[in-house]
Amino acid sequence: MTTTAERPTVQLQPPKRRRPALRVSHRRSLTAWLFLTPTLLILIAFTVYPMVQALYLSFTDYNLIRAAEWVGLDNYTELLSDGAFWNAFGNTVLYALVVTPVTVVLALAFALMLNQAFLGRAFARTAIFLPFIVSLGIIAIAWAFLLDPNIGLISHWLSLVGIVPEQGWLSDPRYAMVAVMIVGVWKNVGFYMVIYLAGLQSIPVDMYEAARLDGAGVWQRFRNVTLPLLSNQTLLVSVLALIATLQAFDQIYVMTRGGPFFRTETLVMLVYREGFQELRFGYASAISFVLVVFVFILSMVQFGYLRRKRVTY
Amino acid sequence: MKTQHRRRSREQRSRHTIRPLTVVAALAVTGLALAGCTGQGSGGKDDQPDASGKVTLDFWNGFTGPDGPALEKVIEDFNASQDDVEVKANIMPWDTLYQKVLTSVAGNDGPDIIAMSASRMPQFASQGLFEPLDDYYSDSSNDSAALATAAVDASVFDGVNYGVPVNFTPMMMYYNKDLFSAAGLDPEAPPATWDELASMVPKLTVDENGDGQPEQFALAMADHETVPVFASMLWGTGGSIANDDGTKSTLGDPESIEALDFWVSLIRDQKATQIGMSGADADKLFQTQKAAIEIVGPWMTTGFDEAGLDYGLAKPPAGPSDEAVLADVVSMGLPAGTSDAQKKAAYEFFAYWNSAEGQTTWADGSGFPPNRADVADKVTASPYPAIFGAADVTDVSKTLLPGVASGGPIMETIFNPSVQKALNGEGSVKDIFTDASAQVQAELDK
Repeated sequence: MTTTAERPTVQLQPPKRRRPALRVSHRRSLTAWLFLTPTLLILIAFTVYPMVQALYLSFTDYNLIRAAEWVGLDNYTELLSDGAFWNAFGNTVLYALVVTPVTVVLALAFALMLNQAFLGRAFARTAIFLPFIVSLGIIAIAWAFLLDPNIGLISHWLSLVGIVPEQGWLSDPRYAMVAVMIVGVWKNVGFYMVIYLAGLQSIPVDMYEAARLDGAGVWQRFRNVTLPLLSNQTLLVSVLALIATLQAFDQIYVMTRGGPFFRTETLVMLVYREGFQELRFGYASAISFVLVVFVFILSMVQFGYLRRKRVTY
Repeated sequence: MKTQHRRRSREQRSRHTIRPLTVVAALAVTGLALAGCTGQGSGGKDDQPDASGKVTLDFWNGFTGPDGPALEKVIEDFNASQDDVEVKANIMPWDTLYQKVLTSVAGNDGPDIIAMSASRMPQFASQGLFEPLDDYYSDSSNDSAALATAAVDASVFDGVNYGVPVNFTPMMMYYNKDLFSAAGLDPEAPPATWDELASMVPKLTVDENGDGQPEQFALAMADHETVPVFASMLWGTGGSIANDDGTKSTLGDPESIEALDFWVSLIRDQKATQIGMSGADADKLFQTQKAAIEIVGPWMTTGFDEAGLDYGLAKPPAGPSDEAVLADVVSMGLPAGTSDAQKKAAYEFFAYWNSAEGQTTWADGSGFPPNRADVADKVTASPYPAIFGAADVTDVSKTLLPGVASGGPIMETIFNPSVQKALNGEGSVKDIFTDASAQVQAELDK
């Protein structure tokens, strides 16, 4: 990290020069804050307030009808011995561990491919990006139809090549998770691809020319020029992807409802079940807070690791 | 110096873009997870009688099928029959209703009358959602003595009745006569016992191309999101999920295991039905003639008629020691804190709904049997109420886990997942359900 090394330099600057600069920046930041106010108000009303409220509820026994009853850490201690929680935790981690890298690698591959000029490139870019702007709920309904054992198109195609499941893909404990993972990847890969595309186009052509003059082959150019210069994008994409996968809910809710026998129940699905089906909003809040802390820690670790690996020329 | 400066600004920039991003992202997690968890309002209802003194009642229910118009017809007749009360039906899928009802009532923006499966009522009543309705039954002018006892008792929780019946119906066995004939079976002799059914399964499950995946199944039997037909099979051998007063789990008892063994092996070994179906999937399978038998309620008659099926209806096959049939009851209740004026208005509607007139219209239009036996001869427009209301069926029909507050969670988080495990061969029936029994006991002890 370079910050520590620079600080003395900054402090050595004469105060005369700093003051007016600060005042300007103050005025500037006031303007900035004013511009931010509407957004911040929305954020406070719909995100910060509910979060604080949920933190409070996580220490209570609450069912929406009766007044919340303070139970201290009971919800959190119950979590530790709750098989459903650990099952959902395991499913969430598994989902994130598979979907995040697959999405990031595929996004990069698509971006590299679609950065070349070829006929139908615009169509391919649109086709890959399209799922991202469609509601995941709707996508999931479409996939559920495609995978239906009796009327599904994909099931039909697979049966033509002799792959016949004994039951629906989505109700088979061996394939249900794979199916929701595929939908999760398919939905988001286009968005991350666009981020990578932007990154690719910001790499100066002379870098490649220089590399070529040095005798670097395709792989070496990719390994030593493209990949390092995309490290910013990789950081952003992998953090966004990880956070998104840890929140997996929509397509699971629509396609499997967490089944068969909780094989695809993620933490957010469990929060939903405990809250809206078992009417235990205090306990559900506690689970969601554990998820928040988990996401926060993982993101921090990821930032620390990937930022250290960042390269610029 | 210049490079340092540039580096520093980059550092600043990255810090400034990254930190809020993390925070926003982290916040978004809770935002998503908890979007529905705020608002703690409770208290009296705000819809008071309007200037003319008329009370309007918003009636939430899930009669989305062909039974919807029949329900609306009864409500229309009621609204026309007097000037004090107007009921407005708000029909939505049951799923949606269960999700919305709690938040709506808590937010004072909810229904005035709530219909739901009587099996779910104890859970919500135990959470304080419902108003006790015992005074409805103690008022003789409401004529509730004429109603089927099982229908009335279905909504009792902890000695208090929280509901008035909307419908009470046994599940019947639908069987496809064409498929029976094609299999060389007598289309007028549906299976009357488990053994007869088991002997027919090999003929009715057809795998023409021999790929291991039958094109036609003997049964359409769902294992989740369905009326609990599978669970009712435990009764056939004298088993059950819990004892009558809902204090002790009986799921691991030898009788229960015997029934589960029979059905799991029938499905796994003989491929009697497709595994992993929801109730809607099972209906679809029967409707598209890919299954020969389905046990379900009268709400499917219209759909099967429209599909042009030639089907027969019979009492579900009897088990070796008991011929009990599953009954499904939908009851209507009032949210806790309903004002006296609203309560009085709602009682007027309840009484009309269950009057001879109301029940005749309902049965004729929906195909459900009437809640009171004394109107049976007046129901002539539809043949189904008489079939579903036949004494030999209703006499042996009963509801699943009546009055058990954790009945819903037990079915959805213990029994159904255990059935799925067993059907997928993830352990022996005995192991899976002994384990499940302990979980049921834990729920009952809560």
